[in-house]
Amino acid sequence: MAMRQTPLTCSGHTRPVVDLAFSGITPYGYFLISACKDGKPMLRQGDTGDWIGTFLGHKGAVWGATLNKDATKAATAAADFTAKVWDAVSGDELMTLAHKHIVKTVDFTQDSNYLLTGGQDKLLRIYDLNKPEAEPKEISGHTSGIKKALWCSEDKQILSADDKTVRLWDHATMTEVKSLNFNMSVSSMEYIPEGEILVITYGRSIAFHSAVSLDPIKSFEAPATINSASLHPEKEFLVAGGEDFKLYKYDYNSGEELESYKGHFGPIHCVRFSPDGELYASGSEDGTLRLWQTVVGKTYGLWKCVLPEEDSGELAKPKISFPETAEEELEEIAAENSDSIYSSTPEVKA
Amino acid sequence: MQTPLATPVPVLRLPRGPDSLNRGFAPDGHRAPLKPEVPEVLEPPESRESQEQQARASLRERYLRSLLAMVGRQVCFTLHEGVQVIAHFGATDLDVANFYVSQLQTPIGVQAEALLRCNDIISYTFRP
Repeated sequence: MAMRQTPLTCSGHTRPVVDLAFSGITPYGYFLISACKDGKPMLRQGDTGDWIGTFLGHKGAVWGATLNKDATKAATAAADFTAKVWDAVSGDELMTLAHKHIVKTVDFTQDSNYLLTGGQDKLLRIYDLNKPEAEPKEISGHTSGIKKALWCSEDKQILSADDKTVRLWDHATMTEVKSLNFNMSVSSMEYIPEGEILVITYGRSIAFHSAVSLDPIKSFEAPATINSASLHPEKEFLVAGGEDFKLYKYDYNSGEELESYKGHFGPIHCVRFSPDGELYASGSEDGTLRLWQTVVGKTYGLWKCVLPEEDSGELAKPKISFPETAEEELEEIAAENSDSIYSSTPEVKA
Repeated sequence: MQTPLATPVPVLRLPRGPDSLNRGFAPDGHRAPLKPEVPEVLEPPESRESQEQQARASLRERYLRSLLAMVGRQVCFTLHEGVQVIAHFGATDLDVANFYVSQLQTPIGVQAEALLRCNDIISYTFRP
């Protein structure tokens, strides 16, 4: 019996979700942070999407958010010209780092000792989180606003993307090592440490480059403009989403489109695989995050696979029969929005 | 890619949303470690918690189905101060905080489209 993907919708934000990030796997599970134009980034349990807390303090849209590896700290980048560092366990604000323009991107080093920021002032900044009063080190060179900045090669190098270029910098010397030029706007960038792979999206293209040399590895074309893509930890699949509101899943090796899902009511701005690869999360203009199973039908998190023969008491079954129209409407709504209510089993349908 | 006869993957529940009252996070400042692995065997149906959860789930499902049955029908809403209005029910939002209605008959005229805040509604009735 074929199973249909049931996305889990995480509501709570009131404006578009523009960035999301997972933590590493911790003894407490793994976590998810979402950046939203409503200025209130949220922390969620990564495998269920359950809300844990909201980081309150920014006075403008939050454009970037990240967690450190063990999910003890969070960092956010906002339109109020600040980046903030938070205690991700208590929700308290630890540091406010003033910038001269909108901050778009933040990234912790593996040891959480340094924070990299980038934004509209075209400067990369490195803050020593053990010396919050000290001035950050600055790297200049970008000629347009920085959209994404990431540590790479065990924090010895920095990757940064502005509108039309991706640049590689050496951390110790603070100088540019290499750059890539694009004739279309770069929409997103993801760094995969195992294998040193860089995922870059621009236009309808999803491109994979070596993070060390920036040499191209391969690229795929999607049916619509893509805003974000993510590579599965085991590099079997990639997922991408963009302006046509749909999520696409591809086989990384062959480039074959495996699955596609409608569900969001607006363009998808960000998509990321969880650290264990069992699910991926998407954030959209519609203000929601959705969690999607990598293997549809597997029991994981809130998804519970029940074979058609089993009559599990856990799942609610309709006890009253409603007029035909209500059930048909239910099926239609279930088809478009399959996460809203439990659907009837095939026996009830007819 | 998805056949019309495919069943949606069943879900235990939906992700919990924000608590509108506070900002959340661990109350004592510490996270609860993951619970030990729950065995694959289902909990005995006699357990009180799962019975209550079952009851909650079926009550919610009945309510949601009642909302579906209401779509397009004329519904009479009782609001504060004894005000009663009649309208055609359209839809509700995710948190059932607002009702989208059309042809709302108010004491000052008929409103083609309107949003009724559920906070303002005391009760509503309709005939299926």
